[in-house]
Amino acid sequence: MKPLMLHGHERSITQIKYNRDGDLLFSSAKDNHPCVWYSINGERLGTYEGHQGVVWAIDVDWETKRFMSGAGDNMLMIWDVQTGKALGKIEAKTSVRTCNFSYSGNMALYSTDSTMGNPSEIFIIDVRTVDSSFSTNDPILQIPLTNAPKATSMVWGNLDEVVISGHDNGDLAQWDLRTGKKINLVSEHAKSINDMQLSKDGGFLITASRDCTAKLFDADTLECLKTYKTERPVNSAAISPILDHVVLGGGQDAMDVTTTSTRVGKFDARFFHLVFEEEFGRVKGHFGPINSLAFHPDGKTYASGGEDGYVRLHQFDPSYFDFKFDY
Amino acid sequence: MARRKESDRAQQNNDDSDSNPNDELEEEPDFDDPEGYEDDISEQDLMGDLIRQRPKETDGVESIVVIDGVPQVGPERIEKLQNVLKKLFQKFGKITNEYYPLNPDGSTKGHVFIEYSNASEALEVLKGTNGYKFDKNHTFTVNLLTDFEKYNDILDKWENPVPQPFKEQGCLQYYLLDQDACDQFSVVYEQGDKVAVYLNTQPEPSLLEERPRWTETLVRWSPLGTYLATFHAKGIALWGGEKFQQIVRFSHPGVQFIDFSPCEKYLVSFSPLADSRATDEPQAIIIWDVLSGLKRRAFNADKSQALPIFKWSHDDKYFARMGVDMLSVYETPSFGLLDKKSIKVQGIRDFAWSPTDNTIAYWVGEEKDTPARVTLLELPSRNEVRVKNLFSVADCKMYWQKSGDYLCVKVDRYAKLRKDKSDIKYSGIYYNLEVFHMREKQIPVDSVEIKETIQAFAWEPVGTKFAVIHGEPPSTSVSFYEVKTGQTPTMVKKYERKPCNQLYWAPSGQFIVLAGLRSMSGALEFVDTQDFTVMNTGEHFMATDVEWDPTGRYVSTAVSWWGHKVDNAYWLWSFQGRILKRVALDKFCQLQWRPRPPSLLSAQQIKDIKKSLKKYSAQFEVKDRLKMTKASKELVEKRRKLMQEYEDLRKQKQEEYAEQRRQRIELRNNVDTDETEGRGGELEEETVEFFIKEETTFIDE
Repeated sequence: MKPLMLHGHERSITQIKYNRDGDLLFSSAKDNHPCVWYSINGERLGTYEGHQGVVWAIDVDWETKRFMSGAGDNMLMIWDVQTGKALGKIEAKTSVRTCNFSYSGNMALYSTDSTMGNPSEIFIIDVRTVDSSFSTNDPILQIPLTNAPKATSMVWGNLDEVVISGHDNGDLAQWDLRTGKKINLVSEHAKSINDMQLSKDGGFLITASRDCTAKLFDADTLECLKTYKTERPVNSAAISPILDHVVLGGGQDAMDVTTTSTRVGKFDARFFHLVFEEEFGRVKGHFGPINSLAFHPDGKTYASGGEDGYVRLHQFDPSYFDFKFDY
Repeated sequence: MARRKESDRAQQNNDDSDSNPNDELEEEPDFDDPEGYEDDISEQDLMGDLIRQRPKETDGVESIVVIDGVPQVGPERIEKLQNVLKKLFQKFGKITNEYYPLNPDGSTKGHVFIEYSNASEALEVLKGTNGYKFDKNHTFTVNLLTDFEKYNDILDKWENPVPQPFKEQGCLQYYLLDQDACDQFSVVYEQGDKVAVYLNTQPEPSLLEERPRWTETLVRWSPLGTYLATFHAKGIALWGGEKFQQIVRFSHPGVQFIDFSPCEKYLVSFSPLADSRATDEPQAIIIWDVLSGLKRRAFNADKSQALPIFKWSHDDKYFARMGVDMLSVYETPSFGLLDKKSIKVQGIRDFAWSPTDNTIAYWVGEEKDTPARVTLLELPSRNEVRVKNLFSVADCKMYWQKSGDYLCVKVDRYAKLRKDKSDIKYSGIYYNLEVFHMREKQIPVDSVEIKETIQAFAWEPVGTKFAVIHGEPPSTSVSFYEVKTGQTPTMVKKYERKPCNQLYWAPSGQFIVLAGLRSMSGALEFVDTQDFTVMNTGEHFMATDVEWDPTGRYVSTAVSWWGHKVDNAYWLWSFQGRILKRVALDKFCQLQWRPRPPSLLSAQQIKDIKKSLKKYSAQFEVKDRLKMTKASKELVEKRRKLMQEYEDLRKQKQEEYAEQRRQRIELRNNVDTDETEGRGGELEEETVEFFIKEETTFIDE
């Protein structure tokens, strides 16, 4: 089926996320206005105005009440989803690279870049009451990554007790929130981890890395289970909530794209079998690398956001569901 | 050193005991050997290094030379002789002593001893005056005094050298015995760090051998496929046999190019930088005997010459190189010039051996009023079997058909010539193809004129057709011509506007791949020239190389790291253009099929096989199908296993997930969200009715 092309951003998309119900799709881009869309028809519901820099990361809580965004203007902002009003903001020392609500929605984490002599840091904050005093509240936990590779992607682990961070040298670390200590570290990737997403039940974790692979990990033990290989850096990867499929998106580095044709760039979304690691399908369309991918929670649609500034909503054809591997 | 330390320590101990006589010292153990004890270690083992430095009797006499062949003179002329010799030998250094042995009658014995101040001067004398012609009847023989010792050691009886034990190499031709006649190919990847050899089995090629750092740059198969040559900074190594063990090594520092003779008897290695070192012996080009590993002859290289410098005749009997106005033909195994002299050819521009006969084709450029000409020269008789004069020639290129039946000379001709000082400018270039019918009496020549630029030319290796790409890219055309006895070649097919730049005939003829490599983005077209059907078209984006396997069943296309830096991969196709396999390898460089020697079957046998091909193909199809099902069975088996493992893990995860359900609900304010995930997408249809307008119409009754 013809995809819906959501053209509301003026610059490259940085992240897209569905809410838990799947009726809304949130997107952020290098222009300063995160957007929210109806996922059913691609109509834009509104934007969140207030950032003055590239919005790197977004998240929405499980009730779709609050929306959070971290940006290159060193701001973490929390918004009311429905009205688009900013409820509170925290100023960081450097740009905010990742932000995630916890499972309960009571806590959130964000991480910052290492620039101007400031180390990359991971913050855990309480977001139960967000008002004007929000910015002055101390974080629950602050983990400075001094002399360590910066965190490039983060997710919450099981039951809000641990967080998992991916780093720009390819390391994957697990942190215990009660002690603030690193409890596990694996180095499976050779290059920066661009994106991490959990399976529906939180048992598995998929990472997307610049080393041209995506890997599937056991989210509790961080044991590497599967590797999906491509020829280009992988910017994002997602696990289907209903089938044993994963989708990978990426392509040639954005900085090299102008010098090569789209065919060399390989900007396709690529579907692999979760278990067999075999590629079985490709969807083309973007004319720049794919920066972010998300499955609709019902698994019947997926969305991709690219360097070309478009968000594409693809509804799977019946043949996608009919296709079965022999085993 | 250790010895001295020990003695030092002993000394110290003694000192200590002297200064503190009261100290109770442990009694020194006695290290002396008991009497009559015989050491089982020889002195040689114990202190070989010291023994080697032991002064020898000859010490001090290295600077003495013995000159033999000096004229024998009576006592009255001794002084004169001494003066003459002194003058001669003083040039090499300071003479400290000289001795003229005399006969009882006072005449000299005919040899002289001269001592120099040091040994190096004596060596100089040896170099300078050994074999020196003193006068008509006297030639000096100069030796060092120490040489006598050397010659003393030579045994009186000649002992035959012990023959080297025969080393079992295994069957070097084993690859021809493969049940299904699958071909091997070599793959170089990771920028040359890794080399692998695969057997092209269906449906998956199987790995035979993989070695890291097997070569430093690339690998080459020998022309009959017996050896795999690897390149190293120090030389070339040949590998073969089932385990790819090393067969022989050729030491040639800085070697960059090699060339086998067609029958694999000899190997020519070329090291472009070798000449910079000053030695008398030529170093740049060395011809080796492959079987023995011995150097046969070395040559100096002329930098400007195109490779290969030496071209071999088909039977390894002759090899030739071109010089200025001459053609040098050498013969094997003597490696001397044929008939001891080069063939004088004024203005020779290029030459090529026939692939099946000892005939050389060469061409000579235009000179003033004499036209250019192509000559066919038979060897070793040096008969000119055919000479063809050509006018207004700018350039020529010679293409032999692989079966040696035809020779095509592509002639670039000009309409106008303008001389600009030293520059020669041609204008109105057009092209002629001169086809020599080698197998016919007196070798008739036919010519085909082509107005457009010729981009590529290729003979069908077996058969009578040739293909030409002509025109300006991208709107090039491909034409096929057929050559018949007693007729000018006729065009049998022309494809207008076929963007391609390379022609690849199948080794057995009939099938051809028209390829648009590199700048033409890798478009491929598989054509059957029997009826000129395009069997398939394909594309290997940015492909740099196309290679047929030696039997003409498969085609490989490759994007080599040497030509293109991304997406390095090789793909395998069937001869009909069906893609079989795509293999992406990091920094993949080169794929080469292992060649096969020519078939031993007679023409009749091949004909018979072709006749009953239907019968065979049925058998092969059954075999193929079996293999496919087996492979898919294996795959399914593998998948099933993977799935089982994964399911086990998932089950465990799901159990954990179920256990944590209560905790999760607590986290979300006692709302159970497990069941409602993703429900928002499923919209319930609502019917909303709006009251828009009310109209009342009266209907007349």
